[in-house]
Amino acid sequence: MTPLDLLLLIAAFTVVVMLVSGQLRSIAGENAVALYAAQGLALLPMAGLGYGTVAEVPASISIPIMQHTLHWRFDGLSWFFALITIGAALLSSWFTAGEWAEKFRARGGSMRLFHSTLALNVFSMLLLLASGDLLSLFIGWELVSWASFLMMGLAGGQALRYAMRYLSYAIAGAMAVLVGLAMVYSQTGSFDYAALAAAVPHMSNNQIWLLLLLFTAGFGVKMAMIPLHLWQAKAYAETPGPGAAFLGAISSRMGLFAIIVVVLQLIGFARLLDLSIPFTLLNARDLLAWIAVFTIIFPTFTALRQHDARRLLAWHGIGQGGYMLIGILSMDALGSAGGLMHIFNHATYQAMLFMSVTAVLHRTGTSDLNQLGGLVVRMPLSFLAMLVGIIGLAGLPPMNGFVSKWMIYRSLMDDGSPLLFIGAVIGTLGTILSVYKLIHNTFLGQLRTEHVEIEEAPSSMLIPMMILAAIVFLTGYFPGVVLDWVAAAQAAIGLPPLTHTLGGVPEINGGLDMIWVVSILLAGFGIGALIFFSGNRHQRIHQLDNYAGGHFLSADVRYQYSDNFYPGLMHLIGPWYRASFQWLERGFLSLLETLSTLMQGGYRAAHPAFYLLAVMVLSLAWVVWL
Amino acid sequence: MNGPVLLIVLPLLTAFLLPIIYRLMPLAGRLTGPLILVVTSIIGLTQLQHLGDDTLAIAMGGFPPPLGISLYIDRLALAFALAVTLGTLLLWPKASGDNPDSRPGSLSLILAGAGCGLALSGDLFNVYVFYELVAVATYGLVAGRGTTAACTASVRYLIISGFGAAMALIGIALIYNATGTLNLAHLAELAPSRLNNGQGLAAFVLLLIGFGVKAELFPVNTWVPEVYATASSRLTALLAGVVSKLALLIVLRLLVLLFPQPEAHLLMLVLGILGVVSGELAAWRARDLNRLLAYSSIGQLGIMFIAFSMPGQAAILAGLAVALHHLIAKPALFLLAERWGGSVQGLSGAAENSPVAAVLFILLSLSLIGVPPFPSFWAKLLVLLELARQAQPLYFLGAAVILAGAALEANYLFRVVSRLYTPDAAQPVPEPQRLPELARAGMLGAVLVASIFVISPINNQLEQLADQASDTQRYISTVNPRVTP
Repeated sequence: MTPLDLLLLIAAFTVVVMLVSGQLRSIAGENAVALYAAQGLALLPMAGLGYGTVAEVPASISIPIMQHTLHWRFDGLSWFFALITIGAALLSSWFTAGEWAEKFRARGGSMRLFHSTLALNVFSMLLLLASGDLLSLFIGWELVSWASFLMMGLAGGQALRYAMRYLSYAIAGAMAVLVGLAMVYSQTGSFDYAALAAAVPHMSNNQIWLLLLLFTAGFGVKMAMIPLHLWQAKAYAETPGPGAAFLGAISSRMGLFAIIVVVLQLIGFARLLDLSIPFTLLNARDLLAWIAVFTIIFPTFTALRQHDARRLLAWHGIGQGGYMLIGILSMDALGSAGGLMHIFNHATYQAMLFMSVTAVLHRTGTSDLNQLGGLVVRMPLSFLAMLVGIIGLAGLPPMNGFVSKWMIYRSLMDDGSPLLFIGAVIGTLGTILSVYKLIHNTFLGQLRTEHVEIEEAPSSMLIPMMILAAIVFLTGYFPGVVLDWVAAAQAAIGLPPLTHTLGGVPEINGGLDMIWVVSILLAGFGIGALIFFSGNRHQRIHQLDNYAGGHFLSADVRYQYSDNFYPGLMHLIGPWYRASFQWLERGFLSLLETLSTLMQGGYRAAHPAFYLLAVMVLSLAWVVWL
Repeated sequence: MNGPVLLIVLPLLTAFLLPIIYRLMPLAGRLTGPLILVVTSIIGLTQLQHLGDDTLAIAMGGFPPPLGISLYIDRLALAFALAVTLGTLLLWPKASGDNPDSRPGSLSLILAGAGCGLALSGDLFNVYVFYELVAVATYGLVAGRGTTAACTASVRYLIISGFGAAMALIGIALIYNATGTLNLAHLAELAPSRLNNGQGLAAFVLLLIGFGVKAELFPVNTWVPEVYATASSRLTALLAGVVSKLALLIVLRLLVLLFPQPEAHLLMLVLGILGVVSGELAAWRARDLNRLLAYSSIGQLGIMFIAFSMPGQAAILAGLAVALHHLIAKPALFLLAERWGGSVQGLSGAAENSPVAAVLFILLSLSLIGVPPFPSFWAKLLVLLELARQAQPLYFLGAAVILAGAALEANYLFRVVSRLYTPDAAQPVPEPQRLPELARAGMLGAVLVASIFVISPINNQLEQLADQASDTQRYISTVNPRVTP
């Protein structure tokens, strides 16, 4: 039995255990945590993959089916993704183990369903990551799609409607992939990765374009690439909190994984550069890069307009996917390492942000940014988690998000793509603005009277948040830890691995050493704090003990508003929001509606024999014509 | 030697005796029909076992073909005969209260016997006769409910079926005119010289449209939604599951034996594509579960037509795989629609009362859409891979249409599923599923799930079926041993 067999077995076992005992109040959450920890331990014997000392770990099982054989194996890239997946599942299920589950149950949710769905998600993702040929990749892909549908629809009602929307997109995407697979099979006669890679040089440019379109659109649905992104934010936002943390952390990255494997690795970077678009100076890679940039900009600025914390985060999840893609598309050691590292970084802070918002929701009953405020005094640790998270999300030092974004920016500039760089920076600007809105409207400003009695989130929620906060900070301090795994993943997909140190990237003309950056930053803050706390006479007063213009402000006076945030900015950029994609979606739906009404009308016709005669006459006319 | 004949004769004979038995002993009357079907199924199974890899021809009454009437028995034919018998047994009409009525039983037995005849017969005239017999049995069964809607649907069905049969008859006449024989083996021998021309193609068009009526071929399938929405669910299941496949089998035989020309294939491809498009789109819009399933069945039959429109043994294999899956999955869905029929809106929260049925519905939907690892995924994969190999670009359109159809299918089937799980305070929860329907649907569902684990053996079996079915020379030399290949 190989280590991969063991991992998959434990993952399957987790599903079974959760199906059997997921409803048990006392132990289900703890069981889940223990089982995910076991899965994490099962990754250890394969750690060679993560450090580039072992190239591949095969599974000993392979299933011959019809004339095909399904097999599975892990390489550096799979290991890296699997690590994130299992980590996200572990902390998300930890988050449920306690008060959250009680409340979920009280509202009529089934913890058995939740736990087994989560376990099923992990299992299907591991299968996808381990896929060793195109057919097993597709099977894994479909399983992941349906598992995440289950997770999204779990809450019923509104959530189910959004999950249905996701399903429509996902299945349409999967079908596009299937057409692509059939094309590949007709060219190569096999589903092996190697066969496709070998056949690519013999395919015509038109064929490659078609394959590229089918695969990128199909896999792009899951990573919510523009213009296939509309489903994601609402579906993730309505998913039960820890589920949203898990999905937001890793689920949509599965799309990126498949794109990396099929489009970038098998069709190949070189071929993408060869495919030029007529009458422009662009090639296929540039096209993808521009799609990635717009995937950064549009969703990020849509996030700016949201007033539900969960939707705001979910929209950012889409935008950050664009950074990962554009980083990997840069194809050099630095940029692609940035893109891959951003997957890890994003997973950590996004999960934490969703958890923090869920903790607030758990205590206050709302995630509406216009109904919150001032919670920092009541929930300081949740505030800390969100603070660390948004610094990471915005890509500022000292958190890990800064490192990956720095690498991406740097490689865009080195590449000589100033326009892409500007696009990415515009995206970051939107991110900073909207995460400030998030933390301000939730934790800063005036505490609402109905929230005065609120308590800090329970420890079952705080511990996973604090673990994540520590990870976000420490991998920002010592990015080399993650970059080791990233370099192995780069090697696995045929990119030049990044040379790095524990602190960052040594470069001749200006590298990055986070140990220095963070230490100086901390020293600065330390000196400031020293001066502030020792030299300054200060006194703590209650937040409600407040005066303005000589008047005492009682608790019910709202002197600080959070709705209609950024009115000046919105006045400027408001007209740019056109909802064009929604218009496109509705247009497509009404086209479908019209067509299907026509078809149904055809079947309703009162004179059925007429069709028979008509088609008879037509066909006979055709025969005579022949 | 005479076993296969019994498959046809036994149910037909019993059908005519049934009214008398009912008159004498109502209880025995009730039991006779199913009993006979059990016996014929056992005969069919033993025949299938005896047959092995052989094919054989039976000359009725000792008159050798092409003069006499012959039956042609290969695995494909026997498998279909068995499917008809078992299907009728499983979907045996419900006993209606205290007033014993022998008619549904008799008609079902006629359906089973004639269906077997259709599958086994080796000459065109008998095919026509048995086809008509099947049609007559189904008219009676459809109208049997007695409601106005059922009668209207039945009349519509009758008209279009009658026209179709007339077309088929003209087609047969054309063939007879060109060749002077109706024995399929003899025709297959003569086809390359006599039917490979405009007249032959015209005959194929007429036959395709004629037999296409029952195979839900676009556009002669307008009876489908009405009949399926009004008939009892067991009958609907039988029509959609089994009878449509029988008609398809005839079309397949004609195509392989008599009309291998590319134009014939092309016509079928075009009609198949239109069938998928119209069926799936109409289903997407349907607001009534029976109609939704009816339209979706039109779409699925379209896939089979597309599959059979490709030349070669692999295409037959692919088509048979889709047909086999549909034969099992669709009846099960229609059985669930017995209680859940009518507006989809009215199904809100039905999962509360019948959780098992809801899970079954999800399972069957997943399988119908073609989600791996369910068997229909492998069937559709076979079709797709075969389509991608064809040079004619229209086949690529076929592949695209099949997959777009699957995406639509996922959408409308899961719209129903999400209804099942969304209770609506404003309306009552539908009543729980009845056990007989649920048990039958559950059995079919279990077969589907079990088949996940034996995909490869099933594939091998179907491959042999397809091998035999695509072998024209073998057909000729089995029926007429004088002709050596």
